Amino acid sequence: MTATLMESGAVVERTDVRQPGTAAVLRSEWLKLTTVRSTWWTLLATFVLGAGLTVLLCWGNAEWLASPEADESPGSFITWGMMIAQITAVVLGALVVTTEYGTGMIRTTFAAVPARGRVLAAKSLVVVALLFVVGTITALVGYVGGNYFLDREGIGMALEGDVLRAMYGSGLYLAGIGLFTVAVGFLLRHTAGTISIVLALMLILGNMVNLVPGEFGEWLTKLMPGNAGSAISTPVSFNPDLLEPWTGFAVFGLETAALLLLAWVMVRRRDA
Amino acid sequence: MIRAHQLTKRFGDRNAVDGIDFVVEPGRVTGFLGPNGAGKSTTMRMILGLDAPTSGTVSVNGHRYAASPAPLREIGALLDAHAIHPGRSARDHLRWMAASNGIPTTRVGEVLDLVGLDSVAGQRAGRFSLGMGQRLGIAAAMLGDPPVVVLDEPVNGLDPEGIRWVRTFARQLADEGRTVFISSHLMSEMALMADHLLVIGRGSILADCSMTEFMTDHAASYVRLKAPALGDVANLLSGRGLDVTRVDDEVRVGGLDAASIGDLLFSRGLALHELTLVRSSLEDAFMALTADSVEYHATSASEGAAR
Ligand SMILES: Nc1ncnc2c1ncn2[C@@H]1O[C@H](COP(=O)(O)OP(=O)(O)OP(=O)(O)O)[C@@H](O)[C@H]1O
Ligand SMILES: [Mg+2]
Repeated sequence: MTATLMESGAVVERTDVRQPGTAAVLRSEWLKLTTVRSTWWTLLATFVLGAGLTVLLCWGNAEWLASPEADESPGSFITWGMMIAQITAVVLGALVVTTEYGTGMIRTTFAAVPARGRVLAAKSLVVVALLFVVGTITALVGYVGGNYFLDREGIGMALEGDVLRAMYGSGLYLAGIGLFTVAVGFLLRHTAGTISIVLALMLILGNMVNLVPGEFGEWLTKLMPGNAGSAISTPVSFNPDLLEPWTGFAVFGLETAALLLLAWVMVRRRDA
Repeated sequence: MIRAHQLTKRFGDRNAVDGIDFVVEPGRVTGFLGPNGAGKSTTMRMILGLDAPTSGTVSVNGHRYAASPAPLREIGALLDAHAIHPGRSARDHLRWMAASNGIPTTRVGEVLDLVGLDSVAGQRAGRFSLGMGQRLGIAAAMLGDPPVVVLDEPVNGLDPEGIRWVRTFARQLADEGRTVFISSHLMSEMALMADHLLVIGRGSILADCSMTEFMTDHAASYVRLKAPALGDVANLLSGRGLDVTRVDDEVRVGGLDAASIGDLLFSRGLALHELTLVRSSLEDAFMALTADSVEYHATSASEGAAR
């Protein structure tokens, strides 16, 4: 009997169906993100480091910055904490993806939503949205606190122009870092591996390529994702050789997009 | 209904699942039985579209699972009870699953009730005992009220009460007309739970039959006897065309019942020290069946080496 049943063997492909819609998958990923404590701890760290260190640095350096010996701009200090807070964006981006691979829950996810590209898109979106909002708020609070001390020395900055751009620029940069890490997470599927690779790339390799001699080294430095992307998060960069803020961010965006595309191809091709 | 056709999965140079054909019918519990590494989990992952078959096809309700409009309403699966975020509560775990397939949130409470986890639904899943984890996995499988339920070793590590619960639950699902596909490496467990058996060994189907068929076909019995003149006894019985094997200080006889054997020996004046009917258990039958497949593969491997 089995034999006769098997003879057909053909699998009917459905063309009339609609997979779980993007909105449903988004809601599902948002629920995942907001129902674990690690998310809130990570965001708290973003805020404390991002705003707190900015205020601390401005408080400590205001007098020097106002003095004639100062060889740095106060604009380099007003979002200083975001340089450290980017670490938390890496952690968040990684956790959203790699804890699922670590526990095996990714199979439940892909069984519930077989269109894996949608899972990747939804995870990316919730990470970007959350980090943009938290990053911008953090930068604003850091500005208000830090500018208080700069103001006392008469070198306060108005919230306009490059300073204003650095506020939502900080949100954009954190969101970009988070997205970049989501892509790496889907490729590596391992928490510690993902966090260390991205941090090494952003913080260590980004500075080490400085040592590469000549014009090639200069361009390499400009194009490293952390260097290209971070200029947007500060009114005045410490490093004068970096790309212009929006140019740099566009480069960083392209690099992230390329990585996401690779992740999208791999996640659909690989066994879960 | 689940239907596999020439389903194959190759890992490296070894076929974990080797061109198998089977149909899992609705309205009954189908036991998927095989020793460790036989290919049960791999087959189940292919059913769910998680692993891509190297060749062949498998369909759920007539179409490829990945093409399902609402996958969780099509098939409910428990693959690994540990595969949950330890920091998320049971309720939240079910909530994100429900949201992904547009299943109303009220259903979350229903399935929690169904598996008896309602009182601990707010607790972090990492604190759950093994049994609670299995129940949560089954709750997740039932979320979309699916016509097909696939459970990978649902009784693994459960206490007797938990095992009985799963058994009753599986029976109930089958009685409701659902397709129930449950894997295990314990024959004793399947004997109590399954109506139909699919035995797999080394990636190949070794038996596909009803539980009763399997019992009559494979649970062999023989008569064990001990006697002072064992050689004479063996000669007499094999002279009668019976199936006789000598093992140490006993003789095993197949093809005649104990009473007749006793009468026969008495009529020849041969003394008897023991006469017992030995029924090999289903577990033994299963072991014999799968051991054969292992042996077969071992032989073919050495043939390959000799060439
Ligand atoms: N992702 C993988 N990569 C390589 N080999 C694999 C992979 N998954 C399974 N295998 C191999 O395929 C074979 C079948 O494994 P599978 O997990 O399907 O067996 P199983 O019947 O579920 O066993 P168990 O009773 O131990 O759960 C095993 O030899 C296993 O080592
Ligand atoms: Mg298994």
